[in-house]
Order: sequence, then C-alpha cells, then structure tokens
Amino acid sequence: MDAKAIDDILASKKVLISGGTGFVGSATVRALAEKHPRCAITVIDRSPPRSQHALPEGISCMQVDVTCMPEVSQAGIVPGLADRFGRRLEKEVWRINVVGTQNMLDAAMENGAEAFIYTSTCCVVTDDMRSSYANIDERWPTSSNLLIYGESKVIPHGCLATAEALVLNASSDKMATCALRPSVLCGPGDYQLVPAIHACIAKYETPFIIGTGQNLWDVTHVSNIADSHILAVENLVTSRTAAGEAFFIQNNEPITFRDFCLAIWAHFGHIPPFEIQIPESLAYLAGLLCEIVTWLTGTTTTLSRGSVRDACAVRYAHGDKAREILGYEARIGIEDAIRLSCEEYAHRIGVELPT
Amino acid sequence: MGFVSKAIYFTLHPIQLRSIIQWKVWHNPPHERNPKNDTETQKACFKFLDLTSRSFSAVIKELHPELLLPVCVFYLVLRGLDTIEDDTSIDLKTKEPLLRGFKDFLEQDGWNFTGNRPEEKDRELLVQFQNVITEFKNMKPAYQAIIKDITDKMGNGMADYCIKAAGDDASVKTIEEYDLYCHYVAGLVGEGLTRLFVEAGLANPALLKRSRLHKSMGLFLQKTNIIRDIREDFDDERRFWPQEIWSKHVDNFEDLFKPENRELALNCNSEMILNALEHVEDCLFYLAGLKEQSVFNFCAIPQAMAIATMELCFRNYNIFERNIKITKGDACELMVQSTQNLQILCNTFRQFARKIHKKNTPKDPNFLKISIECGRIEKFIETIFPSQKAADAQLQVKGELTAEQAKKREEDAENKADIYFMMLLMGAVVLFVAGTMMGVAWWFGARFDLAWKELTSGNFRPPPQVAAKAAAKAAASASASIRNEL
Repeated sequence: MDAKAIDDILASKKVLISGGTGFVGSATVRALAEKHPRCAITVIDRSPPRSQHALPEGISCMQVDVTCMPEVSQAGIVPGLADRFGRRLEKEVWRINVVGTQNMLDAAMENGAEAFIYTSTCCVVTDDMRSSYANIDERWPTSSNLLIYGESKVIPHGCLATAEALVLNASSDKMATCALRPSVLCGPGDYQLVPAIHACIAKYETPFIIGTGQNLWDVTHVSNIADSHILAVENLVTSRTAAGEAFFIQNNEPITFRDFCLAIWAHFGHIPPFEIQIPESLAYLAGLLCEIVTWLTGTTTTLSRGSVRDACAVRYAHGDKAREILGYEARIGIEDAIRLSCEEYAHRIGVELPT
Repeated sequence: MGFVSKAIYFTLHPIQLRSIIQWKVWHNPPHERNPKNDTETQKACFKFLDLTSRSFSAVIKELHPELLLPVCVFYLVLRGLDTIEDDTSIDLKTKEPLLRGFKDFLEQDGWNFTGNRPEEKDRELLVQFQNVITEFKNMKPAYQAIIKDITDKMGNGMADYCIKAAGDDASVKTIEEYDLYCHYVAGLVGEGLTRLFVEAGLANPALLKRSRLHKSMGLFLQKTNIIRDIREDFDDERRFWPQEIWSKHVDNFEDLFKPENRELALNCNSEMILNALEHVEDCLFYLAGLKEQSVFNFCAIPQAMAIATMELCFRNYNIFERNIKITKGDACELMVQSTQNLQILCNTFRQFARKIHKKNTPKDPNFLKISIECGRIEKFIETIFPSQKAADAQLQVKGELTAEQAKKREEDAENKADIYFMMLLMGAVVLFVAGTMMGVAWWFGARFDLAWKELTSGNFRPPPQVAAKAAAKAAASASASIRNEL
C-alpha cells in the first residue's frame, strides 16, 4: 500500500495518546501530526501540557488519571512508564502500569478501538542485570516469564512485562495490539540520560572507567521511537502483520557506554585528562558503600550497585523484526542523535557549546 | 638481523618465538604439492612464484590441486602486467598497447618481453614469460577465460590510469576515485579468484551474485597497504590517500609529514582506517562462503594480517616516519588463527576491533564514527556466532538446563565421584599402613593395653622420671649396639 493510501485511511481515524505530554508521548504526537495532519489526535495525561515537551497546534488535551475510570476514544496509543524508580514507588508504579494498562485496554475494547499500541521497554527482557544481553531478539523471554516461574529475585520491570503481556494477549480480530520496546532514549526533552552524564564533568568523575569499557549498548533518539509508533499505527490499521507482536526499537548502532559518555563530554568541550580503569567487582563494592552512606545521610550519589551493573552491562538488540514487519529504520543516526541531544541540553541550561 | 641480535630478541620476546615454533611445528598444509612430477614449465612457474612473491607463494602452494596451477598462473600473469606498468622507462606510446593487449599475449606461444629496464626487479619473469603461457594454455578453458577476462579489465584500467597520470595530476581526488583505483589493482583480483573458486566447486556460487563481497576482500587488503606504506609512497612521489580525506585535516599533502602537524596527521590516519574498516563485515561474510580448507586459508591469512596491520597503524605516528610491519611472531600467530575455521578467525577480528576501539580517543573528530564501526563489527560477529541463544535463555527462565549446562553438570558430578573415590582409597591406604605398623609394634611386644589405660586416666605425657629413664635406656642401648658393631 502506498503512503497516500495509508494517509487517507488515517485521515478518517481518531488517535488517543495517553501520556502524550511526556518525553516519548509528545514526540509521538509531533511525529503523527506531521506525517498524518488530517488524523484527529487527542492527548490524555495526568499532567497538563508542559513547556519542555512542545505539542503541535490543534491537539485536544485532557487531564485523565488512567488508574481511575479512563475515557477512551476509538484507537489508542499508550506509552508506558519506563523509568527507573525507587522501591517506595513500586506499588504506585505497579498500579499505573498494570491497572492503568488494563483500564485502557478495557475502555478501548468497549469503545470499539481498532488498534492498541503499548510502549514497553527493552528492560522487559534485559531485567536480570547479572546477565549480559548481546544481540538479543524478540524470541528472548521477558521478565513476565520470570514472574510466572516464581523467581524470587527483584524484578524491577516485572510490572511492565506483565502489562506488555496483558496487551499482547488482548490482540484479537476486533482490536489488534502490539508492543514496542525502545532501548535507552536520548533527544530533546531528555531529563535523565544526557543531564546525568553531563553532570559527571562537574563532579570530576569522567576519568574513571568502570569495567572494561568494551560493553556495547543501544541508545535511541526519541524521534526514532516516535517514528516506530507511527509505523505501528499504520501497520495495525492496514495489513495488521504486527498484531500480537513485540518489537525491539533502537538505533541499531550499538556503541560502548563509555564512548557514549566520552562523546557527550567532548560536545561540551571536555576530554578526560587521564583514564583510570576500575574493575567491575571493586566498583560494585564501592557502589554498595555509597548506597549505605546515602541511606545513612539521605543524600544522592551517582554511584550505586545498580548504576555499576548498568555501566558494565552488555545490552543491544537485533533490529531485524522491526525492520521486516514495521519497515522501521532509524532516521536519526546515533552520531546526530548525540549531537542534537547535547545541543538541546546546552540550550536548556544556557551553555554555549564549543565548535 | 644477525644471529646474536635474533637470539637476544627472542630471549626478550619468548611469546614471539613460541608463535613461530607453533606455526612451523603444528601447521599441517591441507594439500601438499609434489614437485617430483612437475614438468619443466611448471617448475619454472613455481620458481618465479617464489621469486616474485614472498607472502603469497606459501599459501598458493598449499592450495587444492585443482586450483594450484590456475592460481599460480593467474598470479604470474598479473605480476607480469604490473611489471610493465611499474616501469617508468617505457614510454606511454609503447606501454599503452602492451597493457591493453596483454590478454592476447597469453595465447601467443613463446611470447616474452625484454623491454624492461635492467633494474626492474621482476624483469626476468617477462623475459621467460613463455613458460607461463605454456601453462596457461594447458589449463581448463573455463579457467583460461576467467584469467583472460580479468587481465583484460586490469590491463585497460592500468592503461587509463597511466594516461591520466601522464596528462596531469595522478593523485587520487575523491573517495570514489580511491575506491576505483583499489578496485583495479585489488578488487579485480578478488573477482577473478572468486570465479576460479566457484568454477572449481570450492566456494558457494552465491559469492558471485554479491559482487560487493569479493570487491571488499580486495579493497580491504589494498587500503591496508596504502595506509601502511604512506611514507614509502610519499618518498617515491606517489599519493594514494584521497584528497577528499586528507584535505579535511591539512591544506597540503606534504603537511601530513611535518612534526608540528602530528595530531592532524593522526586524525587523518584514523579517518583512512575508518574508511577501510567499512569493508570488514563484507570480508567476514565472504569467508563464510568458502567451502574448502585450503581456499579458506588462502583468503583468510591476508585478511587477518590486514586487520592486525590496521590495528598497528591506528593512531600510530610511526607510519609517517618509516615503514612499519607486524612482527614475524605475530604473523605466525595470526596464521595459526586464520587456518582453522571462521569462528576462530572472527575471534581474532573481534580482538583487533576492540584493540582499535581502545586506542580511539575523543580528541579525534571521527571518534564516534570509529566507535560505531567497531560496534558494528562486533555486532556482526555476534550475529553469525551468537554467544547466547534465545532458546537457552528460555530454558534458564524455566529453571531447566541447556544441553551444555547439563553436560557440564554431569561432568562435574563425575569429577566429584572421582575425588571421593580417591579420598576413600587414600584413607584405606593410610589405615592399612597404620594398622600394619601397630601390628608390628604389638608383635615386638608393645603394651598398647597399658598405653590405653594411661591415656584413659588422663596422662597424656610420660612421667618425668620414666621419660628420663627411657631416654637413658635408649642412649645406653644405642652405645651398646655401636660397641657391638665395632
């Protein structure tokens, strides 16, 4: 089917984007409004539109709490919450993700929605941080399997995996569903990744390499994720070959975590004056100590056992399934993605980047 | 290197020596040539092969018998063509028809060429070229056609290049021109060899459909040489580094060699290497299509040498000052690694990609691109030889064991049983020896009953006077026995 025909089909559709004022949500709204301007978009979110995540003109926004009775239109796109969160919030997060997703699904079915897209995360697979995940694909088990088989360890993204499974199992002839699993994100409006890495310069933390510095990671520009959502919508209202499927979405250019950091620092004109390699086990111990100190003093630190494991983890996925079924290719390459993210962040904090 | 300096070198670098010995001792050629039945012309061809090529003659001679002579003749034909092209004493008017018509000489019995200047190092090959022609005509027609076709393309390519060089500026401008030049001097060889392999049934015919793959094989090798030989070529007034790349770093090509431009030269070097690394994936893909061990070795050895040379040259300022080479020991180790299978070769490639990655620095404007390229190589290797499989991960989630883990557990259990058995055996031996000794002591009259009684009543040491008496008695008996001896 050609692009024109798809555009015509989408012109007659209504799309509801939950969480549409957030980082991924607003990027998706912008991408959809640009590619299919005739499509009617409604955004629901707990927060009103935010200045840092711009929305295009003519989008109707509603403040809705998805954990209460949701109001759902004809087709829904539901970005989940894929952030790391403290233990105290676990119950709350479970409520938003699992209960919220179930509410959205129920409402979508009740209102005769054709398609339902769930924004999951690659963490549904790469949850056990002790394992390494090189070149994984969609055949890999998710942590919902871990829950089913009664694993006793902490599964930080178990609720997301459960929510994802809910969505995929709900796929039917009436309402086709699919799930997208983006990797770590960067891009305009990123308040976590680039700011945290940039903050290392001021804290003199840049010379320290944790682990070998050879572990590869996927990072994705947020507008690529937005693209994948549009492709998924297009698929589910036409051929529906993506129905009931999950897809890893990333830039498909794995780089080492260390180099990602070095590239960001280099954009801000900083090159570590020397480098010290810290073995992973030692860093893990240091992370534990820092956690104890912060627990006692109630301050925050960059170093924790989790962040050490994160920095040393091998996590990248194979992008073939999304390429074959959705026709997804990263439009913004990782090099541009890093540059754009740094430029936007520098502008946000009022810093001039060296040229 | 003299014997003494060699001895000192290898004493200080024992691993290098070990690699050389390993290669010499353990390498079994897949096919061994039997020179006894060679005809005179065949002997002459192999003699020239040794004379004209140091690196290729060994691997060519280990090739499958079906391809041994065709590849040897192919090599000599191209070497002959090269000797005409390299000779600056031949004027263009004579040279051009020679290069363009070289393919036809292959069919003229007894053709040879004596027009080279005396100092041209492979002059003798052309003087006695009739031997090569005889062997060429003895080959299967299919092989003849392939060699003739490549000779035709390469001869014309060289002639075009000579005309251009005579006209104005011979230096390479764009990356496209650079690729084209490399294609003429090396990519075409890759094409010819691939066609020979497929014709002989020793390689997957799909390799011919994907021409990009065999092109990359040649380009990667040629680009490696061009990068490594920058100083030598500069001294000979040849420039193969494309202007499109060096002009990003310096204004004039000569500036690359000025000490004050050290950092700029290094950045230019890494951009050249980045450009060459783009072929690595294709090369590994190509090698996966080779079916026969000797053909695999023939293709894999130069590729392994090339990636190692890339690593050696990467951000190494020495290349602008002198000619650098990988050591003989490293070369032997690489040959051991590249004459087994693709997986071992891939490990070698990954290892060198990581080494390159480690030398990469954010000071370099191409830092991120190089990092991405190294990541891409690693991801590609992971795709052909996954370190973990989804099926295994599924089993792990269910708490079941993969075949490998089950085997390991079984082995562990076996080892454990072995250890228990050994401990039991040793215990039995200790008990037996102790029992025998005590039995002998009892037989000689030791009073264990008294000892037991003393022990149970809490006397663990002999009473002092008893101990003294026993000592005196022992001394007395000893002196008595000595006296008896005397």
